[in-house]
Amino acid sequence: MTGRGVWFWIGAALFIALAVALALVVRNEYVFFAGFVILQFIVLATAWNILGGYAGYVNFGTSAFFGIGVYTAIFLLKAFSAPLLVQIGVAAVVGAAMGLGIGLLTLRLRGIFFSIATVAITIIAETLIINWKFVGGATGVQMLRPPVTPPFDSYIKMLFVVLAILVVIAVALARYVQDSKLGRGLRAVRDDEVAAESCGVPTLNLKLVACAISGALMCAAGAPSAMYLQFADPVSAFNLNYSVSALAMSLIGGTSHWIGPVLGAILLGSTQQLLTVTISSEINVLVLGLMLVLFVVAAPEGIIGLVRRLWRRVGKGSP
Amino acid sequence: MNSARIGRRTIIAGALATGAALPAMAQQGPIKIGMSMPLTGGLAAGGKSALIGIEVWRDDINEKGGLLGRKVELIVYDDKSSAAETPAIYSKLLDVDKVDLLFAPYATVPTAPIMPLVKQRDLLLMGNFSFQVNRTVKHDKWFNNAPWGPADSWARGFIDLGMKSGAKTMALIGADQEFAQNLMKIAKDVANEKGVKVVYEQSYPPATVEFSAMVRAIRAARADMVFVCSYPPDSVGLLRAINEIGIGDSVKLFGGGMVGLQFAAVMESMGSLLNGVVNYNSWLPEKSMEFAGTKEFFAKYQKRAVEAKVDPLGYYLAPFGYAMGQMVEQAANSAKSLDQKKMADFLRSNEMATIVGPIAFGPDGERKESATLMAQFRGVVDKNVEQFRNPGKQIILFPEKWKTGELVAPFDKARK
Repeated sequence: MTGRGVWFWIGAALFIALAVALALVVRNEYVFFAGFVILQFIVLATAWNILGGYAGYVNFGTSAFFGIGVYTAIFLLKAFSAPLLVQIGVAAVVGAAMGLGIGLLTLRLRGIFFSIATVAITIIAETLIINWKFVGGATGVQMLRPPVTPPFDSYIKMLFVVLAILVVIAVALARYVQDSKLGRGLRAVRDDEVAAESCGVPTLNLKLVACAISGALMCAAGAPSAMYLQFADPVSAFNLNYSVSALAMSLIGGTSHWIGPVLGAILLGSTQQLLTVTISSEINVLVLGLMLVLFVVAAPEGIIGLVRRLWRRVGKGSP
Repeated sequence: MNSARIGRRTIIAGALATGAALPAMAQQGPIKIGMSMPLTGGLAAGGKSALIGIEVWRDDINEKGGLLGRKVELIVYDDKSSAAETPAIYSKLLDVDKVDLLFAPYATVPTAPIMPLVKQRDLLLMGNFSFQVNRTVKHDKWFNNAPWGPADSWARGFIDLGMKSGAKTMALIGADQEFAQNLMKIAKDVANEKGVKVVYEQSYPPATVEFSAMVRAIRAARADMVFVCSYPPDSVGLLRAINEIGIGDSVKLFGGGMVGLQFAAVMESMGSLLNGVVNYNSWLPEKSMEFAGTKEFFAKYQKRAVEAKVDPLGYYLAPFGYAMGQMVEQAANSAKSLDQKKMADFLRSNEMATIVGPIAFGPDGERKESATLMAQFRGVVDKNVEQFRNPGKQIILFPEKWKTGELVAPFDKARK
């Protein structure tokens, strides 16, 4: 393990330890409700970035994967009373399979055509669930949580810690993909797919693997959300907001490094939570919109690009 | 020495008095009522109107000297019409803002995710026009202000009216969305129970705009009544298609669960196309629906609604927001405190006078008896929103106690 790797895992262990400590010490549950949403977006943005950032395939299907994750959990709970970890595990497998399947169908399309195809996936998935009465169909479904597992004294705290672990898994995977042969291949695809193919990069296979990993993480993020809300209806579960937010968070953070989506999700996620309980009107939508425009214009490579530029300037000693 | 002792005693007494006075003073702070409300997104039009109703109550009660002698303050956050937002908002209201009482947001979807939270913490929650949201959770401190009553009473009112006018068959049509599907299922069950044959049944995707094929199919099925569970855009689309194609002379009763026909903007734009439709409603400006305070409320509401550019009529939701406050007021006065258990006991076991009529709750926290109106549009002209302020434009056919006229059937005749 390289020096950087050691630091990464120390950081990850500290992060989980902090989450557990918070869950055991802090009594104010709002921290966990708001924190859950932010952590969920870190997983989604990181997952989105594996295909959208590294390979440059802009995917609007996040909500489809997320929603399927939600409904996988609901199905397992209703059919087998499955515990949370089983729900997340199975959702990840379903997501990976879905990623592979959808990848095979859509990844031969490029650019805007791929993006349009991914929008359709959400609509197809939502229509399927609307017509599946067992999981509530169009009317939605309310569930009661299974009892909380000790040492946690409330379910939301447990969900918060589970999500923190999921964040570490997602970020570790993204980091691995970025530094591996797979990541180099994906970057080649992003820069020039034809050139990469002609150099012997198995572009379709790489994209499929990326799509499967990304899908697995998105679905895995959806599963605990079912238990967070204890309610699901197709309109909420397949809300386009998940797709747009995951994309915006990655773009704002920067797509070239795994830390980008993490920073973007923390910044945008906490701003969203903050605006909801402060400005709380149409203006909060406007503030978010302005933030996006500002970043696209002033920092097209996101926070990472901005920091790199500043770093270079400082390095060169220029003002 | 003596004086020093007295001095010490005085100090101790003073300290004790201050200590005792502190909580008393804290109690003199405002009573905080927390809620989220859809102020943006698909449910915003309704949410804003409902909120004005609650705000009018707040101002009225503060003018009278407050609730239990304390000022009432509302803490409202926008839930963007989304279920995903409300758990965090309600936890903020409880854990950070430390509100004294909770009101639910308008509509079922944003309310559903907070039901487990209030049950877990055993809190009183006043519902705001959601539908059967307590079915799974079974919380004993939930009280819904909506007039729905028992789940099947809605469809029962409509089907009873149809059967009285000789209808034996029914067509069912509804959007593939939460509320519409709930209603459709119930309507089908009631029809089966009453021996009414369902001759046509169709769900359509929420974004449907073209209804001519469905209207033709209903016409071909020659149903005696048509129960429609639609949302505002489809309600409009359907009525336009019927106007163009015609629904056939067999139909005696048309409508039931069409959302949108209660909102001023839709009513104004549809105008005469509304005539004949028998649809659900919550409150209407008919003589039988005037209760103590109703008139004064609408005078205040309508002034604010125009300023805020919200539904200028506000019949559907706003008075029920006010009634929610009135019920809490009576419960708190009876309990002489904000003790949520005592308040819930009062709400469960008493009939309360409100500006929308007397309200009593059943064991599930829904109305003991349905007060959902079935009313028929009559003599509506085009492009005139003011006409709806007068009685006679929507004749109440059900429930019996508020009836203001008889059904005109068949549908084609009533449209003229």
